[in-house]
Amino acid sequence: MKRLSLILIILSGMAFGYTAQAQTDISPERKKAIDSLAMEKIRDLGKYISIIGNKQTPFSEAKRVIDRTLELFVEDAQMGVSSLARDEVTYYGIKEYLERLMLLNYDKVKIEWFNIQYISDLELQPDGRYVGVITIFQRFEGTSDDGLVYKDVTKKDITVYVERKQTQIQGKLIGFWDVLLGDIRVVETTK
Amino acid sequence: MIAASLGSGMSGCKSKKKLAREQAAAEYGRKVETAKHDLLSIINDEGNMSLQEKESKLQRVKDMNLNEPEILALIRQAEEVIDAEKEEMRRKWEEENKKKTEATSLSLADYFALVAGASSVENANMKINEALKLFATPETPVLIIISKEGDIVDYDRPTTAKKYLEYLKDQKKNLNEIDNIEYDNNGKIKLLELNKKDY
Repeated sequence: MKRLSLILIILSGMAFGYTAQAQTDISPERKKAIDSLAMEKIRDLGKYISIIGNKQTPFSEAKRVIDRTLELFVEDAQMGVSSLARDEVTYYGIKEYLERLMLLNYDKVKIEWFNIQYISDLELQPDGRYVGVITIFQRFEGTSDDGLVYKDVTKKDITVYVERKQTQIQGKLIGFWDVLLGDIRVVETTK
Repeated sequence: MIAASLGSGMSGCKSKKKLAREQAAAEYGRKVETAKHDLLSIINDEGNMSLQEKESKLQRVKDMNLNEPEILALIRQAEEVIDAEKEEMRRKWEEENKKKTEATSLSLADYFALVAGASSVENANMKINEALKLFATPETPVLIIISKEGDIVDYDRPTTAKKYLEYLKDQKKNLNEIDNIEYDNNGKIKLLELNKKDY
């Protein structure tokens, strides 16, 4: 039994070694393509958030976009929410955050992401995934029906996970990079 | 008397054998003639015979196993004619398929631009519904190539025709170009491959 366990450990170690080896072998060009892909997903998320928050977006569209947005995240990912009015940051599950965003009590909401950049490059982890952190600045502007405007700019860090996966499509084996976003943490909120 | 009848019996046997040989030779001659005729009809055909007919005629001749130099040479000629016809058919098919791909690419590319640039959600949805008619189903796989290096092709997470068109509507950006389209028997797109333009 001990011997069997030892064999299994060695075999799983070899399999893991192979995966990690296969993924460290990627050329700078391939790595650049993966970096850009992850960045693209962050830009997509910014746009989705802006659509969901926009009061002009029809309800059915907002619901559909919420579903698309959820596909970008790992399960259990959280979003930090801050305000100039309070010091503490509240963390919500992504679905709850998006639903709250859709129902925000403003007459008009404008959300814009800018200065999107890597603060920690995608690095290969022992589990075979690449992990990095991308920072974004979010400009939020909410106008209530009495004309009052709330504005802030929040700096947020987003953890990005990238993993090489394979799937079969119409008999063809496809190797793809699955980009998934993790927690979005609030770094600071300013006027 | 006995010797005479034996002699006549032997000569009857000989003539039977001779007759059989002559019949076999005549039969063989007929086979050669038929084979020659069939092979020449393949070689000299001016479009009256289908490729399938030619192939089955050639096969019949081959099955005769005639070891005549003239027939063997004609078989080679007939094979060349059939191969050339097959090549021509393949070339025509590829040309037509290319034209079809270009035509569909153009209209698909147009739809991508129209959806991404739509002035309203309603307008975008209308274009999405029109574009989806080009696909076998809304769930038709769409693969986006993010990098190619030798034999290694890296893709983004696979998506579907409907989701990709909705992505264009939501993101209002049309960054990918059509790389390859595969059709089903009804001429509908069954697989679409795109190339990221910005990598």
